Amino acid sequence: MSRRWLLALLTLLFSLSLALSACSSPTNQTQDKPADPAAPKTEPAKTANETPADTLFVSISADQGTLDPAVTMDNSAWKITYHAYQRLVEYDGASTEVKPGLAKEWKVSPDGMQWTFTLQEGNKFADGTPVTAEAVKFSFDRILQIKKGPYDVYSVIKEVKVDSPTSVTFVLAKNFPPFLSTLAANYGSIVNPKVKEKEQNGDLGQNFLANNTMGSGPYQLAEWKKGEYFKLTQNPNSTVKSTFKEVYFKITPDATAQRLQLESGEIDIAEGIPTEQLGAIKELSNVEVLQQPSLFVDYVYINSSKGNPALQNPKVRQALSYAIDYKALTDSVQEGYATQMRGPIPKGLWGHDEAAFQYTQDVEKAKALLAEAGVSNLSLTLLYSDARTWWETEALTLQAFLADIGVELKLNKIANATSREMIDKGEFDLALGVWSPDFGDPFMFMNYWFDSNNFGLAGNRAFYKNDKVDELVRKAATTNDQAEREKLYQEAQKIVIDEAPYIYLYQKDFLLPVSKRVKGFVYNPMLEGIYNLAEMSK
Amino acid sequence: MSAEVHTSTVTRTVNPFWYTCRKNPLMLAGIVVLVIILLLSLFAPLISSYEPTKINIKDRFAPPSAEHWFGTDEVGRDIFTRILYGARLSLGVGVAVVLGAGLIGTVIGSISGYFGGRIDQIIMRLMDMILAFPSLVLAMAVAATLGPNLQNAMLAIAIIKIPVYVRLARAETLSLREKLYVKAAVTFGIKPWRIITRHIIPNAISPVIIQVTLDIGDAILLVATLGFLGLGAQPPTPEWGAMISVGWKHLLDYWWYPTFPGFALFLASCAFNLIGDGVRDILDPKANR
Amino acid sequence: MKQIILKRLSMLVLVLVGVTMLTFFLSHVIPGDPARMMVGQRATEETLQEVRRQLGLDQPVWVQYFTYIQGLFAGDLGTSIRTQQPVSDDLLTFFPATLELALLAFVIAILFGVPIGILSAVKKDTAWDHAGRLFSIAGVSTPVFWSGLVGILIFYKFLDWLPSSGRLDLSVPPPLKITGLYLLDSLLTGNWAAFKNSLLHLLLPSFTLAFAQLAIVTRQVRASMLEVLGQEYIRTALANGISGPVLLFRYALRNALIPTITVVGLSFGSLLGGAVVTETIFSWPGMGKYVVDSIAFLDFPAIMGFTFVISIGYVLINLLVDLTYYALNPEMKE
Repeated sequence: MSRRWLLALLTLLFSLSLALSACSSPTNQTQDKPADPAAPKTEPAKTANETPADTLFVSISADQGTLDPAVTMDNSAWKITYHAYQRLVEYDGASTEVKPGLAKEWKVSPDGMQWTFTLQEGNKFADGTPVTAEAVKFSFDRILQIKKGPYDVYSVIKEVKVDSPTSVTFVLAKNFPPFLSTLAANYGSIVNPKVKEKEQNGDLGQNFLANNTMGSGPYQLAEWKKGEYFKLTQNPNSTVKSTFKEVYFKITPDATAQRLQLESGEIDIAEGIPTEQLGAIKELSNVEVLQQPSLFVDYVYINSSKGNPALQNPKVRQALSYAIDYKALTDSVQEGYATQMRGPIPKGLWGHDEAAFQYTQDVEKAKALLAEAGVSNLSLTLLYSDARTWWETEALTLQAFLADIGVELKLNKIANATSREMIDKGEFDLALGVWSPDFGDPFMFMNYWFDSNNFGLAGNRAFYKNDKVDELVRKAATTNDQAEREKLYQEAQKIVIDEAPYIYLYQKDFLLPVSKRVKGFVYNPMLEGIYNLAEMSK
Repeated sequence: MSAEVHTSTVTRTVNPFWYTCRKNPLMLAGIVVLVIILLLSLFAPLISSYEPTKINIKDRFAPPSAEHWFGTDEVGRDIFTRILYGARLSLGVGVAVVLGAGLIGTVIGSISGYFGGRIDQIIMRLMDMILAFPSLVLAMAVAATLGPNLQNAMLAIAIIKIPVYVRLARAETLSLREKLYVKAAVTFGIKPWRIITRHIIPNAISPVIIQVTLDIGDAILLVATLGFLGLGAQPPTPEWGAMISVGWKHLLDYWWYPTFPGFALFLASCAFNLIGDGVRDILDPKANR
Repeated sequence: MKQIILKRLSMLVLVLVGVTMLTFFLSHVIPGDPARMMVGQRATEETLQEVRRQLGLDQPVWVQYFTYIQGLFAGDLGTSIRTQQPVSDDLLTFFPATLELALLAFVIAILFGVPIGILSAVKKDTAWDHAGRLFSIAGVSTPVFWSGLVGILIFYKFLDWLPSSGRLDLSVPPPLKITGLYLLDSLLTGNWAAFKNSLLHLLLPSFTLAFAQLAIVTRQVRASMLEVLGQEYIRTALANGISGPVLLFRYALRNALIPTITVVGLSFGSLLGGAVVTETIFSWPGMGKYVVDSIAFLDFPAIMGFTFVISIGYVLINLLVDLTYYALNPEMKE
């Protein structure tokens, strides 16, 4: 009985397939004919596909994880929701300094332990609730309770006190001069306390904010179609005027597809195009490539205590630094869109020393240093992952340079998650890395990279320890006078350049292929990859 | 006398071969292509004066020319040379993996079929598990656990391929077990291991050989796909999949970079598939009218 | 019939237990830590431990496994570490897209593969045969990323006939969700704009995928047809004057279909799990991309969920194949 039914069904399916295949062959033939009447009809419809002027289309390469500002430490998630929130202070245009945001003014106690902010009145969350001091306290208490990534930055907060509806005071556990700067980063976002209504199992609304926004910024997340796009719409209650009514972040993993869509005008900004292709992109009539110096650096960790014992000798590390032709490296890896670093603090951030020593290629000197150190036939591993597209080329190039001074470099390319683990444990000789500051203070470089309390992923990935350097950077971190701090940092810099626990490679330019229709984009090096959506138009 | 015998065997084996080739020019084409690729890769050092891993930054992305027949890649290595050396790797790995999987699978399958009962049950459920496991997840998990390199990629592909051979060999064994000569061997008290190696496997091998030739092309593609996902050979090893994976991002600007390795991959895989089809026509009596 | 179903279902349980255990322990021996991926690059040890505690990663592996299995019985596939969403929600979001793509590719492969296979068999060793086989072998030998990109270049860039990415234009609202398959849903709700648009988006990826699967179908159809055509009763029938086409479709094809269904059915499983590259090239929001991202993040609840679904799918397809066998071949003994 059921057997006959099955048989009937299959016969039906099959005859249908035969019939369809019979139909499909003539259509196939018409496709080959050049005089297909369907073709010219569809063509004008597509060329008229120019994007509307009140909507921005941005191509991104990957979907995101959580969007909750108290949880995510991922730059690519920040770019989606940064404009759904406001912060007490905001970065000012293209500078690394801050300007008033939700707070119109602030003051700090002489010992640096108390910061008091006075709020600007009139700011409202997307649902119309006013932004109050209570909301500020709520947002920071939430970070401290959730205890995920951003907690690291704010564990210095002892208490947040509401003085009045428009005044709030942060009491710190110790003097922390970069504090003001951290408030302008994504994790300083002020969240609508009404998120408590969305709480599930005491998660403080983490599940809700992972997929939604509840802020007072000019935009709000209207729709997130997983794997396809994010759609932002204007926040009706925002005090900030913006031009774009809607902003789409389209997820397009393939670089070639992104480029073709940018060419055809289907999207306005394509983030995922590799540097090598920008030369060709510049030739396009409807696209320009924006180029700005950034604070994003690419460097090599030399494992100074846990790797190959030869690397514990500063002379060997210097030899490695002398082996590299920095100009040729940036040309081949970044098409020349990069500048050789001059010490750890990049150009554009205060504390950068224009007079600092720069290594240049000197094969003889490198060989001599190796001989002095009594090292011969050195063989090292270079750890890297697929996290950055250019690392493969960079690894190959470094391999060639080190071969010239008689050092064999074995490449070890592994999955990103695994490589993080290995770097954290110090299981490598050399490793490729990148770094960009979250807040505009040399603390981000000097204290993270060199303080021996930060061994491992936390920052001191070279496992480098020097008591003098420890003393200098720790003192600089708790001093309020900026001139004094600059002096301390520069003294420390001299030591760490000479002792070379890292190979300071280059500072990458920020490059972005943008449709010529788009106007008003200002790049801020502190907001790597985050657009000033509210000021942009086309 | 001995010469007589010799010629007669030759005519007996050669004739069907040439006959098949004439009837099936595609197989002949496959063989020719494969032999050419093999020769080129074997004599690579004589054919090309470049080293496959020697980088030359000044000469990056050079288009095809008399010096660099297939152009150069992002660090100035000669693509033609890398394809030649890569052929050793891709073909070698493809053949090795499939032969390995075929051998292991046949042994397991014939044991399973010969003994039956609980052993058979356990083996077949295990194979069901592997088959039910998404092959990509398995391959990626193996690569991630043991580290992404060629050996582990080979291991992963072999594991994926084994169940097919187990099933084939088991099915053949089940029918062979009922054959008179096997039953006779059992009554003579010959040890099971000997029966399996002497009587079962040699007679069950023909569907396995067909499957092996068909699978090699697929395995080469799988190696390349794992290389493409960054789980195969480690740089700077010249591996076709890895070359394409870096190269295809440059398709629009430097068309030669992904095109030539891609074409090599296509040719090799095609050749094995054509040969596989032909071998099936020869070995599979059911397919011959 | 009942026996087959029962046997297959008991196998399902066995396979699932094995598969979950294997995936779980595999994803735990992988060096690396999902908590570390979550807290960002610069996390301190203290924060890391706290997050590990929150995620339950500080428990011994077998405790984690039993917690997971417990949840499974309550219908809970766990929460993805990467997306912070219930894994079941994530899979429901991504599965229909992959299913739709795979189904259409499957249909296309059969639509083209069966006629080519028959042609090859009937005209064995002629130019037709060679051409047909060459075409399908070319398909299986072309890397998917290659055919996909060339497709985009021709049909999107040069001809501008087809879109290059996604399931729908941003301007077209998706049809009311019934099955999650846009094509089917728009058909059911009579939403012609969405139907046309989603069909256009499907064409390139599904043909790309189908091209790679074509050889499996043609090869099997050809071989089975040859076998059947060589059999005594067909020859007798021919000698008795039964006309070619009738014979071909009424007798030969029906018998040739049985092994074809097995092979093709089983290949559908790999189609579901193996569409990653196609999904990447065409920005197709499917499961393949989801699982690759999850593996990179070591997000094991997500990896487990994916493996779980694919395994169930595989066993069910097996069951379906068995049933078809049974329906087509009444004499077959269990």
